[in-house]
Amino acid sequence: MSLATTFPPPGLLLAGAVAAAAASLWLLLPGNALGGDRRIRSIGAALGVAALAGLALSGRRLGGLGEEGVFLVVSGVAIVSAAATIVSRSPVYAAIWFALALAGVAGVLLVLGAQFLGVATIVVYAGAILVMFLFVLMLAQPAGLAPYDRVSNEPLLSALAGAVLLGLLTVSIGRLSGEPPACCQVPSRTTAVAGGTTDAAPAAADPGDPFATDHVARLGAELFGRHLLAVEAAGVLLLVALVGSIAMVSRGASVEDASADGRAPA
Amino acid sequence: MTLLPLVHDGLLVGAILFALGLVGILARRNLIVMFLCAELMLQGIAVSLVAWSRQHGDWGGQMLVIFVLTVAACEAAIALVIVLQAFARTGRLDAAAWQSLRESNLPRVIDHGLPAPDTVAPRFPRLTPAGVLPEQDEDEVLHREHV
Repeated sequence: MSLATTFPPPGLLLAGAVAAAAASLWLLLPGNALGGDRRIRSIGAALGVAALAGLALSGRRLGGLGEEGVFLVVSGVAIVSAAATIVSRSPVYAAIWFALALAGVAGVLLVLGAQFLGVATIVVYAGAILVMFLFVLMLAQPAGLAPYDRVSNEPLLSALAGAVLLGLLTVSIGRLSGEPPACCQVPSRTTAVAGGTTDAAPAAADPGDPFATDHVARLGAELFGRHLLAVEAAGVLLLVALVGSIAMVSRGASVEDASADGRAPA
Repeated sequence: MTLLPLVHDGLLVGAILFALGLVGILARRNLIVMFLCAELMLQGIAVSLVAWSRQHGDWGGQMLVIFVLTVAACEAAIALVIVLQAFARTGRLDAAAWQSLRESNLPRVIDHGLPAPDTVAPRFPRLTPAGVLPEQDEDEVLHREHV
């Protein structure tokens, strides 16, 4: 059941929310035309809250109050932290906000029924990739706030581009879900899935059940059954990336040492 | 096709995250923040894929997200090395430091009127002193080997 019959009409609500989000991002991005003092930033934050409320209202009503509340909280955390990531002046704060956004995304994945991926997102991203980011920041960050962190490339046009993209995506999502009325049944699993699985994955595997106790076992059976070749390819990719990054680091260091010694690089 | 309400909301969240990442990658100048924004776009994709997996009741979307995670880890390793090498050459994490690579008919980016840095210093939490300061023996301080 959507808000389609109520005022304001959902299209207008969505357009207003997207426009408010774009204006909010423009006001919050560093180095916009109005200057970035505290008052402008608080106006931008207020517009952002309004946009968030509009987007929340244009979402579908979920089943129970608990599910809806949890989804609103985790998606709100994800979106607010993502916005804070892109408007933070300090890159270190941006990285910390990104960690919080990851926590929100992991929550959304859990609500959507992907237990393993929610946990893997936390472990892989927040545990490994983000720590690598922070290492590089600590290695490469000049003291104080750099001048290029206080300006943006065309903040107005960037915010408009984001608004156009978001508008297109939301309209097409609304079209997708709006065509036939009601009937909120999961379409039955296609025969392609049941036909292609090996004996390790039972045909009744429904990944959508968030409370399934053998979720990870079935995911592993699917991953190492149908997608075994892709797993091997991913392993090769990881190895190549590892070797490549080490080679690039050591090659750059040897070139610098050679030029410092006045020799030609080997 | 009728989307489940939860899938509709999940797709909406994925679209918002993707659009935010796009705005960040277009607007920000710091190479590392741009890279964080690319990761943000990948997160939006991951949410959308898991939502579609839920919609269709199969594992395809979740499998794709696992491989997206793998590729993102490789991409982070390679790109951070490139960023470090770029920093070693220019001393800046600025994307505009590499603007000599631009098209020949485009104008040069010059920063006019940089906004002043925030004058308000950040306030960090301060520990309250606990207990009394121990008395110091002057002789012992003078003859201490490692101070």
